[in-house]
Amino acid sequence: MTEDAVGPTEGAAGAAPSEQRGSGLDLIALTKEFTGGVVAVDDVNLHVDHGEYVVLLGPSGCGKTTTLRMIGGHEYPTGGDIVLDGQSLGGLPPHKRPTTTVFQHFALFPHRSVLDNVSFGLKMDKMPKHARRARAMEALEMVGLTELASRKPRALSGGQQQRVALARVLVTKPKALLLDEPLGDLDRLLQLRMRGELRNLQRPLGLMFIHVTHNQEEALSMADRIVVMNDARIQQIADPLTIATRPATELVARFMGDNNIIRGKLAERDGDRLVIEDEHGVRASVHAPGDKRAPGDAAMVSVRAAAVEIAAADGPAPLNAADCEIIFVEFLGDLVKVHLTSGGERLLVKVPGERYPALRGREGERVRISWKEEDVQLLSA
Amino acid sequence: MSSSSPPDPRLDVAEIEEAEEIETTPRTERALGDQGGPRGRGGGWVTLAWGLPGFIWLAFYLVAPLTFIVLVSFWTRTDTGFVRDWTTADYGALLHPFNLDNSYWKNMLTSFETSLIAVAACLVFGFPVAYFLAMKVEKLQNQIALFIIALAPFWTSFLTRSVAWAYPLMGREGALNQFLIKVHIVSQPVDAFGFSTLSVRLAMIQLYILFMVTPLFFLLGQVDRYAIEAARDLGGNWFSVFKEIILPQTMPGIVIGSIFIFVLTMGEYGTVAVIGQGAVSSVGTFIQQQVLGIQYPQGAASAVLLVVVLIFGVFGITRFANLREEL
Amino acid sequence: MTSAAEAAATRPQDRVTTRQPKRRRDWAKWGLGTYFVIFLVFLYAPMILMAILSFQGYYGGVTFPFRGPAGFDWWRSIFETQVGGVFTHAEDIRAAGERSLWISLAAGAIVAFFAFTLSMAFRRRFRGDGVAFYVIMLALMTPGFLLGLGTQLLWKAMGIQTSLWWSALGANSVWGIPFGFLVMLAVWNRYDEHIEEAASDLGANLVTTFREVTLPLVWTGIFGAALFGFTLTWNDFDRTVLLVLDNTLPLQIVGLIQASAIRPDLYALGTATTLVTLFLIFSVLIAVTIRLRLRGRRVDRVEEELGLDGAIDVEAAAQAGGFGA
Repeated sequence: MTEDAVGPTEGAAGAAPSEQRGSGLDLIALTKEFTGGVVAVDDVNLHVDHGEYVVLLGPSGCGKTTTLRMIGGHEYPTGGDIVLDGQSLGGLPPHKRPTTTVFQHFALFPHRSVLDNVSFGLKMDKMPKHARRARAMEALEMVGLTELASRKPRALSGGQQQRVALARVLVTKPKALLLDEPLGDLDRLLQLRMRGELRNLQRPLGLMFIHVTHNQEEALSMADRIVVMNDARIQQIADPLTIATRPATELVARFMGDNNIIRGKLAERDGDRLVIEDEHGVRASVHAPGDKRAPGDAAMVSVRAAAVEIAAADGPAPLNAADCEIIFVEFLGDLVKVHLTSGGERLLVKVPGERYPALRGREGERVRISWKEEDVQLLSA
Repeated sequence: MSSSSPPDPRLDVAEIEEAEEIETTPRTERALGDQGGPRGRGGGWVTLAWGLPGFIWLAFYLVAPLTFIVLVSFWTRTDTGFVRDWTTADYGALLHPFNLDNSYWKNMLTSFETSLIAVAACLVFGFPVAYFLAMKVEKLQNQIALFIIALAPFWTSFLTRSVAWAYPLMGREGALNQFLIKVHIVSQPVDAFGFSTLSVRLAMIQLYILFMVTPLFFLLGQVDRYAIEAARDLGGNWFSVFKEIILPQTMPGIVIGSIFIFVLTMGEYGTVAVIGQGAVSSVGTFIQQQVLGIQYPQGAASAVLLVVVLIFGVFGITRFANLREEL
Repeated sequence: MTSAAEAAATRPQDRVTTRQPKRRRDWAKWGLGTYFVIFLVFLYAPMILMAILSFQGYYGGVTFPFRGPAGFDWWRSIFETQVGGVFTHAEDIRAAGERSLWISLAAGAIVAFFAFTLSMAFRRRFRGDGVAFYVIMLALMTPGFLLGLGTQLLWKAMGIQTSLWWSALGANSVWGIPFGFLVMLAVWNRYDEHIEEAASDLGANLVTTFREVTLPLVWTGIFGAALFGFTLTWNDFDRTVLLVLDNTLPLQIVGLIQASAIRPDLYALGTATTLVTLFLIFSVLIAVTIRLRLRGRRVDRVEEELGLDGAIDVEAAAQAGGFGA
């Protein structure tokens, strides 16, 4: 799964046309090894089109920020290449690259007014004062901050600082906008709101956005495509729906959360239909064309917690069902998470919050859970 | 490149689960990122360019003079200075009659005693000040404002403060004696307040206490107040809280303050000269006498021995805390 | 909901308290506060007594009681060559004061320059940085008169007469550099390196980034380093005394002490130099405070974040977030 396996870019279709139609951004076998032998990024291959919103998602230390910093020129790769519209960015310093970054803590210039912050890039381009002020005001208008143009960054709220940071990079008309945990510094309500604002800003601009986050929800809600990274490598590249419902590897399934994993052996095979059985006798069937496993080989599947139902138990458990004991009923307002065990790994069922009264206080009882075959996903290791 | 050994999935899963629970800034990545980067790449030359002028300056005006003292201490005295004839005679003279009649060691002992008293007194009297500022003043702004008011005298002349200490306040007819007579604590003026060792030592506390208050203030500010509350919760009285929680965490500050005060008071010259008015001597005034008598090699040897004592003293003080680890 | 939920919700013992908690007086705070005031008196009293005694009349001595009539005679005597027919030390004092002023300004500039450049070197780790750090700290730990002695010996061996500008200035700046260096380290500790990266992102090269972003942001720290250089030199005696023939102000003060009879003009001079330093310190602090105030405060209220402070697209955001209601 280290290649850009997923085909055409689904999200780009909706974007408005932009003048700068090049071949897009290519990361080719990109590798970064720090002095001391730590490999932060290992053989990353990725293609991003103009107008596409791509999110690099992964846990702390997975190499996503280093990848972004290499695209921006703040780190230099030790292997591979970065090509933007046919031009290799390899050894270019940041100020000679057509990319700009929105940093996690915004990195506004505290000694400059909002207007001077926004016009900084234009000043560096030697644009005359009047022209750059006008352009900067346009950019501020775009983010709704024209009244605050003369304030210093410290007199702004977190959300306003965020918008200044956006205006500051947009005004330079970059070919690619890089966002490093852009919502990390905002409180939760504001984060939710900025997700929508960022997406609504990106679509009409038709700009390439590459966004780094460790927040699964944020990635799912914003991306055209998600690149899940772990341990310096890409685990899966796919649209949000696929990532959420069809995780390709155990790592993705666990990182995205709320997936039940059944680890066992291939028990029987009927053409493309496999039946996997774990050591406690739980059996799940999955449709997996092209899989070459023989009976007895190790295999692993996942089922989303929301696709699992709680049913009454009678007789021995059939295929795609398991008898479990309830460990804990967790009420979360909108939904209820029921934690269960079948003897092996913990299992999880998500049901709507209305069903809480029927589940309350039932810890210790045995129930049967079941799922449909089409919700089962075969995982690679 | 592409096919290195596959990672152990179990290990990774554990990491992922951890990451799921705690949504923090990707510290590892940032820490790694700081090492590299375009600035880091050409780092060697850039660092050299920034550092070289300063170190040349320090080499010429600091390291060279100090090294030269050591050299001169092994040279031979002449009527106008010294010549490069190697000898250890001056050390012999200083070390041979190693008894307390030797005025050098007498002075050394007095200075050492003064230093110990100064360190102890600055700690005892300075700690409550730092504690009050860091723990009992609520707003940070007020803390800093009060701290600066307390710190401001540091910037004024030690010499002027010594003068102000020695003449109007201390002395036979000083304000302190007059006050004590007026409120009938003493009937005669206390002579010891005059140009005396006691007066010098009191002045030292006044001059150097800020070197103790400052590091203590910064370290006490970092002590977690909830840790103190937790210790009280768990049944500690104020003394055990102080001993188990506050003291260990402020130890580096005590050590730094002690080193400063020890070194600076051992090497005192101006204050002793002004307050003591010749009646009090120290290693500093002793060496000054030798220099004025154009006995440069002996003065240098005395200075080297002083530095040896200082190094041992500082080394001894650092035993109380591992500064490298705790700062 | 079920009966269990209702039973859990209402208990006659449950009550919401609206009364304010009683405030207890923190005796430790008051005790320590009193101690702090006594501490300040201990620090400032000698200087204040000195200042009072400098306003005595002609027959004023060096101790209390205060001998009137109160006036500025002793203050005038440090500025005018003749007060009431009596010759004063004003000539020497003026010369010493000028020397002190220029040498302190020079030391301030040198300390600021080296404290800044050295701290720039220490922003990245380099081989031998531990030893280099100790060399700078050595400057802090060396007793002043030892440095003076070493400098005197070295210059004597080189066959050059020590002087205010060539040797005393160096010895004094060496004393200020570690203070300035520590100030700068504190500044870099709180400095966000991403700001420089943002500047280079926006097209600024290394030199422009340094000029437009780095320098303006650490300017206060550099100024602080200069202040250390100035005040330490302005007040120094131990380092200077062995090296110069012409008096600086501190040397002049010692000269007045060693004069046959000590007079209150010593107090006037001491108070004057102290006031110069205190004035400098507090005006700088006030200027810095005002500057920080002008930068404004951060807005922390969530209402303003979510309210009518302008948005990219309010309706779309509300739809996407769904949190408004």
